[in-house]
Amino acid sequence: MQLEKFTYDNKIVRNFGIATIVWGIIGMTVGLLAAMQLFKPEMNMGNQYTTFGRIRPLHTNAVIFAFVGNAIFMGVYYSLQRLLKARMFSDALSKIHFWGWQLIIVSAVITLPLGITSSHEYAELEWPIDIAITLIWVVFGINMFGTIFKRRERHLYVAIWFYIATFVTIAVLHIVNSFQLPISFLKSYYVFAGVQDALVQWWYGHNAVAFFLTTPYLGMMYYFLPKMANRPVYSYKLSILHFWSLIFIYIWAGPHHLLYTSLPGWAQSLGVAFSIMLIAPSWGGMINGLLTLRGAWDKVREDVILKFMVVALTGYGMATFEGPMLSLKQINAVAHFTDWIVAHVHVGALAWNGFLTFAVMYWLIPRIYKTELYSKKMASFHFWIGTLGILFYAVPMYWAGFTQGLMWKEFTEEGLLKYPNFLTTTLQIIPMHVLRAIGGAFYLTGVIVMAYNLGKTMLKGKLVEEEPAEAMPLPATIEDTDPADKKWHRVLERKPMKFMVFSLIVILIGGMIEMMPTFTIESNVPTIASVKPYSPLELQGRDIYIKEGCVNCHTQTVRPFRSETDRYGEYSKAGEYVYDHPFLWGSKRTGPDLHRVGGKYSNSWHFNHMVDPTTMSPGSIMPAYPWLVTQTLDISTTAAKIKAMQTLGVPYREGFADVANENLKEQADLIAKDLQQNNIKVNSDKEIIALIAYLQRLGTDIRANKTVIPSNQ
Amino acid sequence: MFKQINNLAGGEFYLITSLLIFLVFFITVTIFIMKLSKNHISMMSNLPIEDQQTTTNYEED
Repeated sequence: MQLEKFTYDNKIVRNFGIATIVWGIIGMTVGLLAAMQLFKPEMNMGNQYTTFGRIRPLHTNAVIFAFVGNAIFMGVYYSLQRLLKARMFSDALSKIHFWGWQLIIVSAVITLPLGITSSHEYAELEWPIDIAITLIWVVFGINMFGTIFKRRERHLYVAIWFYIATFVTIAVLHIVNSFQLPISFLKSYYVFAGVQDALVQWWYGHNAVAFFLTTPYLGMMYYFLPKMANRPVYSYKLSILHFWSLIFIYIWAGPHHLLYTSLPGWAQSLGVAFSIMLIAPSWGGMINGLLTLRGAWDKVREDVILKFMVVALTGYGMATFEGPMLSLKQINAVAHFTDWIVAHVHVGALAWNGFLTFAVMYWLIPRIYKTELYSKKMASFHFWIGTLGILFYAVPMYWAGFTQGLMWKEFTEEGLLKYPNFLTTTLQIIPMHVLRAIGGAFYLTGVIVMAYNLGKTMLKGKLVEEEPAEAMPLPATIEDTDPADKKWHRVLERKPMKFMVFSLIVILIGGMIEMMPTFTIESNVPTIASVKPYSPLELQGRDIYIKEGCVNCHTQTVRPFRSETDRYGEYSKAGEYVYDHPFLWGSKRTGPDLHRVGGKYSNSWHFNHMVDPTTMSPGSIMPAYPWLVTQTLDISTTAAKIKAMQTLGVPYREGFADVANENLKEQADLIAKDLQQNNIKVNSDKEIIALIAYLQRLGTDIRANKTVIPSNQ
Repeated sequence: MFKQINNLAGGEFYLITSLLIFLVFFITVTIFIMKLSKNHISMMSNLPIEDQQTTTNYEED
């Protein structure tokens, strides 16, 4: 057999690299803007499109899917070609993949500020974009498997297993978490409701972390770290063991996002048990990475790229130790809904994803441009300011988290809540939020310096678009000369399709065992006779709540603690959410829980509070929503929404859709009249009326009678 | 903490079965890894750093 000559496609790697930098800067800038609004709400620039509730999802989507997403594709397209000794399967597919992904990001940048959102965290994009994501993901899959099939290296290195697991699991997660019933071109309702919807969402949400932020990055670590340190990975056996354990265990851990909610107790316990077990395979990866550098620590002292890698791996180790700890119920009781979680996430994101991406870029860009890095000093500056940024971000957020979590739970000797006014606990941590924004600004500065440095490097060199390579072709039929060749794992290493199916089965087990009983056994979600579907006006109001992204700061699930039942009222029951498509439990309490807010305040209180929150709660950091008073509620969608709900099993009476708007207007008139009696003149067709109707309905189905608090309190 | 495991109103079944499934899976993977030959392991772990050379012929040795 003769050596075959071919070329590697470096242009696509470069394109994904540039996209990584551009979207990284944009995503982090939006993050900084959101962070500043948490101590100075006026930073929303007075308009709805840049208000926290709408740009927080823009920040998360941009950094996860645009920054990290493009970085994954950059790393995969570079390493896959070289590990398989083959050019990417199809240049056309590479291009479709690249431009398709950028278009999806642009559509997110347009729709999210407009308030077009499904409200599921990290899956906010509406159904047409979901379909586009599916198609582009399939293009990526075909391109990857096509390359694997025409490879010139018989064995699939462990990095490629991580890529395959990423591909197959993200496909499953994305599809299942996108079961939506479209109502119009850009609006849909999730098929599942309440507890079930929550379980699906956090099975997705947790595993988006696992299979988008972790497995592809582990794959990149297993390829790039040995290259950077010029030595093989510490233990290949450990990499196999931790790969299979990681993908098996990760998928079960989702319910730890729902501890103390009305999710069935056994599912919560399963989530906790598997989360604790997750330490082992996660640390397997970290230890394997760090020990690869054993005997090369002298290099670490000099090589800024390796420094980035060490901090990345350390951050990974810290975040994956902390995650299981946070899923212990006792710790979760204090930490959940506070800034502690924000700190936890950012240690993982800024150190593991960010720093690993930077290391790969500093290593890869000069290589494909056949030149040296423009400035090592700048890279070193980036490393230090980035590390400082992480510290300035994380430490204040931990402090804020502990403070707020403990304040929520503190009682006086007389047995009363020490801080009955939620706002006190928010104001207490404002200095920490200022420091956090400074940390974020440091980190962003580093990225901008990197962009300049890499830009200069690119200008200095010339891109080797077609990098020549040569390798022996694989024989058409391979005879197993060694009996060991027939062993299952070695067979799997050579049979990518079997490998994919096997990993698919491994990741499906966990999801199935958790979901099937929750969905099929009625006793897991007991219904409550007094819980009735939302009125048309309340339903429209709920969609305003979703549009404005209220869920980003307010939860709707009261946990069964005395500190919460005293503060908010009766703890939340599974049966209360059966008509909630989607569920709106939230994950963070920047403001108080709202599940029992219905009837707590008067209509006029809500009106004044929405127009200017500080009039009702002096010092409040909630943004003002004056546009809700001027914007007219779109009632052309009411019938379609009611019909959609009926399709999903919500028991509105036959033909209700046709008279829904009459019902809506009646209720709206009553609220407008009530407001008028309190000297507030507003037309009954405004958005704020619907939102008030929804807020007043929240949690009232099962609530014992409580007197209304007058508007002056 | 154990109360969370043995006090689940019938839900223990799911928990214990799941843990057993994982245990079996984990032990199986471990056994097979222990059986892998040293030669193969060293060839695999060298794949990224030797990606400019051809390595398909190692099995003959």
